[in-house]
Amino acid sequence: MINNHPNTQLLTDYATGGLSMAPLISITTHLQFCDQCREAVSGLNILGGELLADCDEAELSDDLLAQTLAMLDAPMAPSAGVEVANEAPKSSLCPDLANQLPKYLHKFLNHQELEWRSLSSTLSVAAISVGEADYELALHRIDAGGKAPVHDHKGTELTVVLKGSFSDEDGIYREGDFLMREPGDIHRPSATQDQACICLSVLSAPIKLTGIKQVLNPFMRFNPS
Amino acid sequence: MVTHIKTKAKMNKPSGPDWNALLVKVGSHQDKAAFGALFSHFGPLLKGFLLKGGGVEPEQAEELVQETMIKVWRKAPSYAPTQAAASTWMYTIARNTRIDWLRKHAKKNHQTDELVAEDLFDENEESSPFTALIQTRNASNIKEHLNSLPQEQLQVLTLMYFQGKSGQEVADELAIPLGTVKSRVRLALQKLKLKLSPEGEEQVVYAS
Repeated sequence: MINNHPNTQLLTDYATGGLSMAPLISITTHLQFCDQCREAVSGLNILGGELLADCDEAELSDDLLAQTLAMLDAPMAPSAGVEVANEAPKSSLCPDLANQLPKYLHKFLNHQELEWRSLSSTLSVAAISVGEADYELALHRIDAGGKAPVHDHKGTELTVVLKGSFSDEDGIYREGDFLMREPGDIHRPSATQDQACICLSVLSAPIKLTGIKQVLNPFMRFNPS
Repeated sequence: MVTHIKTKAKMNKPSGPDWNALLVKVGSHQDKAAFGALFSHFGPLLKGFLLKGGGVEPEQAEELVQETMIKVWRKAPSYAPTQAAASTWMYTIARNTRIDWLRKHAKKNHQTDELVAEDLFDENEESSPFTALIQTRNASNIKEHLNSLPQEQLQVLTLMYFQGKSGQEVADELAIPLGTVKSRVRLALQKLKLKLSPEGEEQVVYAS
């Protein structure tokens, strides 16, 4: 049972195309786990369809249909999205990890070397590049029983639990749970004892460590290449 | 190759042909006549939709209409009328096409990635266990209540859907707090009897 979901505004931003790539990916990842949010998004898309059907028509150039028909038989550009998903997984994503992540994420991860960096004895991070400068997307792994440093947020942090579970002062979060931390929230996540916890996280600004030497700060920044 | 539409498009609604069935024909038979009919109907709507959003010239809007319809042609084999009405399906393709177009034209992002919006959205977006049911119920609820939404709620939805603005961007543009935008969106969705996120906020009673 998933107890933590994106709020209605985020789901609406998602369905209307208002989100940047990284937050968009975090919502889609949550949807892989959550039928309830999928149902909400489905309704929001229907609203989009109704707004489209209800729109004032704008006349098209006379030859647009003919031009378009002529283009239909052209071979598909290799970059067309449809095919990306079907590519055989490359070796860079080790099968051990791949098995633990939703299939949806494979298409981003297959395209890059995941480089895990240790932030502490129990916490490591691997940046995922989606070619976007204003957000940082990353996988976080907290070892079983491990703790992340206490930190607060200058920007908004979105987290989806992919595997295992973790807890903080406010509760326990399990696979599929979606969390939004607002600027000013301070928390210290720790994994449950039985297994490591893997999360997908999106940061809109670097987080600030609290009560820990500032020197750690640069390590917390994941620089999308 | 052009094949004949054997029977006349089914008139299951007073409003016109059965677009879902035409879309199925495009997918199963590469039926160019059916595609032409869809193009003639949805093309002007798509252009109107894009122009209402602003930020694009009429020629660019036509480029986007063309790009959207070409994707419709290519993706039609995966279209399932039990999962989505043609208009809903077209909407999601048009939305994704516009996202990619805007990204391509934005200077602030790197140009190195080959990710397209279609890869980022949920492939099974439309297939919740309740799809067929909510599809019909939602569509008729929306039709019934859309025109009676208060102006301020309609304005927020319009900015979001037609311009692809996020709640925060709408708040900035209207110079109102984000919280106000959020509550207008929630109130509007409740009036349209759409499901809200299960997260925190007060839930609507799901009257059928």
